[in-house]
Amino acid sequence: MPRTGVFICHCGTNIAGTVDIARAIDASRNFPGVVHADEYRYLCSEMGQDLIKNAINENNLDRVVVGTCSPRMHEGTFRKAAAEAGLNPYMLEVANIREHCSWVHRDIEEGTPKAIALLRAAAAKVALNDPLDSPELEVEKRALVIGGGIAGIQAAIDIAEAGYVVDVVEREPSIGGRMAQLEKTFPTLDCSACILTPKMVEAAQHPNINLITYSEVEEVKGFVGQFDVKIKMKARSIDPVKCTGCGVCYEKCPAKAPSEFEMGMTKRKAIYVPFPQAVPNVPVIDRENCLYFKKGRCQICAKECPPQAVDYEQQDQIIERRYGAIIVATGFDQLDPSSYGEYGYGQHPDILTALEFERLFNASGPTGGKVVRLSDGKPPKKVVFIQCIGSRDKARGMNYCSKICCMFTAKQAILLKEKVPDAKSYVFYIDVRTAGKGYEEFQRRAAEEYDVAYLRGQVGKIFPEGDHLVVHGVDSLSGKVVDIKADMVVLAAASIARADAPEVGRIVGINSDSYHFFNEAHPKLKPVETHTAGVFIAGACQAPKDIPDTVAQAGAAAVKAIGLLSKDVLKGEACTAIVNQAECSGCLYCEAVCPYNAINHIEIEERYHEEMHKRTVAEVNPSLCQGCGSCSVACRSGSINLKGFTNEQILAEVDAICLQR
Amino acid sequence: MAERYLEELTKIHDAVKQDLLGGRINLLLGWEKGHYWWQSRPLFAENEQDLERLTWDSFCAVNLSRYLLEELKDYQKIGVLVKGCDSRSFNRLLQDNMVARQRVVLYGLPCPGMLDYELLTATAEAELESIAEQNGIVVLRSAAGEKTVEREQLLLYKCRDCRYPDPVVYDQLLLAPRGEKEAPERYKSVTKLEEMPADERYTHWEKELSRCLRCYACRQACPYCSCRECFVEQDKPRWQGRAYQESENFLFHLVRAYHGAGRCIDCGECQRACPVNIPLQELNRKLIKDINELYGQFEAGLNADLEPPLLTYKPDDPAAFSEK
Repeated sequence: MPRTGVFICHCGTNIAGTVDIARAIDASRNFPGVVHADEYRYLCSEMGQDLIKNAINENNLDRVVVGTCSPRMHEGTFRKAAAEAGLNPYMLEVANIREHCSWVHRDIEEGTPKAIALLRAAAAKVALNDPLDSPELEVEKRALVIGGGIAGIQAAIDIAEAGYVVDVVEREPSIGGRMAQLEKTFPTLDCSACILTPKMVEAAQHPNINLITYSEVEEVKGFVGQFDVKIKMKARSIDPVKCTGCGVCYEKCPAKAPSEFEMGMTKRKAIYVPFPQAVPNVPVIDRENCLYFKKGRCQICAKECPPQAVDYEQQDQIIERRYGAIIVATGFDQLDPSSYGEYGYGQHPDILTALEFERLFNASGPTGGKVVRLSDGKPPKKVVFIQCIGSRDKARGMNYCSKICCMFTAKQAILLKEKVPDAKSYVFYIDVRTAGKGYEEFQRRAAEEYDVAYLRGQVGKIFPEGDHLVVHGVDSLSGKVVDIKADMVVLAAASIARADAPEVGRIVGINSDSYHFFNEAHPKLKPVETHTAGVFIAGACQAPKDIPDTVAQAGAAAVKAIGLLSKDVLKGEACTAIVNQAECSGCLYCEAVCPYNAINHIEIEERYHEEMHKRTVAEVNPSLCQGCGSCSVACRSGSINLKGFTNEQILAEVDAICLQR
Repeated sequence: MAERYLEELTKIHDAVKQDLLGGRINLLLGWEKGHYWWQSRPLFAENEQDLERLTWDSFCAVNLSRYLLEELKDYQKIGVLVKGCDSRSFNRLLQDNMVARQRVVLYGLPCPGMLDYELLTATAEAELESIAEQNGIVVLRSAAGEKTVEREQLLLYKCRDCRYPDPVVYDQLLLAPRGEKEAPERYKSVTKLEEMPADERYTHWEKELSRCLRCYACRQACPYCSCRECFVEQDKPRWQGRAYQESENFLFHLVRAYHGAGRCIDCGECQRACPVNIPLQELNRKLIKDINELYGQFEAGLNADLEPPLLTYKPDDPAAFSEK
């Protein structure tokens, strides 16, 4: 007969407010196998844990049920306490009577019987618990960073500085990401390239960092400490060892295509580096637009290249490598505002998104750094900025605030005034949000010193009239309808998740919110962790974010990865699957559904009619198994069971809840 | 028809005799006549003498592939006569790793559809003495005289909506292929059941399943039921109560049907084997229909290399539970 102790936590009034603790204790004493029941105000406190430890020793308990918060909060705490008192930590079960009970009921008469039922289920389950051991897993001391923007670069530098090798996989031909596209950064107006380029170079030159550009992660298998990753290196058509970055090839190339880096506002060559400070400074051939690949003729780049680095025969390559930790830093996209017909985006050359407008300030941008109208090349004298295009828009866009727009709009208005001193800016806004060090001061400067007119209200329509664009809006503070004859309109289009974020999430095995931003494991306490151990997130792939926050988060993700890599072994999952090979028919459906490649098949010998017969059965590798339970669901004969969550244990819980009142 | 069967039997006999005597196979799974003229039961032929009892007629409904599960333990290499459904059953077993392809020789028999004795007697309205077949017509002979009926009207339920009379996997095709057929009425009964209000549907199944004796003949005949120990017989945990009551009957049939989701090849052996005529094919067809609607058209058993939809993950799989 088991000797189970039940301990119920008040959690202040969190539980005790909706659960009659005394009644729950009385009921617990009558559960089969329960020999001791006690309560405490905060069981997770040191005093509370001591209460459990002492009770285990005094009453010779061999099993423990704690009625507390979710096991995700404190299962580890209580298992540790049980282990300190000499029990196997897996002889403890948590009845979640807070999130599953007291927090969802208002009435003590509703909450109490439910808490008792949950405790009874846990006591029924714990009676069938067996001691379990965790396997030890080696940690591969190498990190993978997906995405080479400022988040990925910062995380890589931090990890490399701690002494671990880190690979950065970047889809584009150069690292740098969104930050490389920016002219200046708020609130200090640092030149973006001036602060980013040194970091890019540091990453490129660091002995512990490998930049794998023009490449994508194709497959991630394995688990924390041992992720097996396939990386596709797209054929660059250039030998990076021979290439000196002289640039003759793209000077001579006759084929052109819209420049992704310049938001399509200008053309690049078919052989190109995306921007002058690109790292690595090795061009790629865009085979879709290259005349040689399209028509089989040209080869000018190969003829002109002094070190003969052009290689048309290059193929895509797959790198297979093992990593201990992964940081996802895949960044964000800007919403295409074309779907908002009233703003006329795409129908007039002087209606731009903020990122397009940003490029006009840049010396290597489409206008060579001159802020001019794309329609007639004249400097704009009146510019209207419109905020929240797609952001904070329940009906047509995203519920969330894109966070960075108020600040970059103030920045662009200031930059405009400096480039075109007689220009006047108007900003249509819903609210001006400037939380951040030095942010409020910066925005006030724009309004007070740079003559930026802030109009609280929305724009209903923009239409061309002669040389101008008439912005028809409402100033809701004065209640007046405003018509502004503008030379240019800049739309603060929402920051959105990358279009392929769901696919990246699927490959890496992390989930995302309804807007496809990756989810952190806890919104407050685990901001860079994900629900997949060993995978961390940083930057705007988690939510819209400015550069300071992105860099801070990248550092935090790096610290988590370093913490992981600094261990030689990890304690693996103790709740792993186990095959009853006598019953297993060897259909191997378990092998097909296992996401961790933890199931193999082996041949066993079996006596049948006095002869030995060979037969195939499934076998679990416990160090690979993560205890997800997919296999036990796929097994029709129940021949594969999950330790700690066996069919018997789960049925005992169901029976305890359903069969007794 | 009868002459055609004789002609075909000679062909089959010649082919398998050569292999059995030549040692290419150690056992032939075929059919022989049973106690009554309207029964053709499995034949396990080890030698020429056994082979003389081989038969091929309109009553060879029993799926022989299923017998491989047991016989492969005793015989190294087995020849099996397979109709369309038997060959799809073989693919089921192959995909479930229950048989080794190289230990089996499949003799393909394109099938005209098998006759239903109960339907024959019901149509004759008298005790039948014999039948004769010619050109799609069956002559029913009884003490009351002769009655001619179209053959299509007398097929077993499982044969009526058969789409693949030709074997889909074989080593030798012994007869002329018949081609794929349309089966427009395959889901007619399922659709009717789906249209019923939930309560009415429950009452319907309550009535049908109340007859179940839990003899498990359906399971024994089924090519997707190949577990070494069926959940109904397990006692740790005891999934299936032993009591003879409706709720336990429901549990058995519904769990069994779910075990066939995406795997059932719709051979209808369960229903044919059922001694109390429970329309088990409708349970299976409901799941086939659901799988097709959720994951795209999939016919289990047609190709052993195509993984069942519930064993594969595709990024565009429907997420019916999380996306509403």
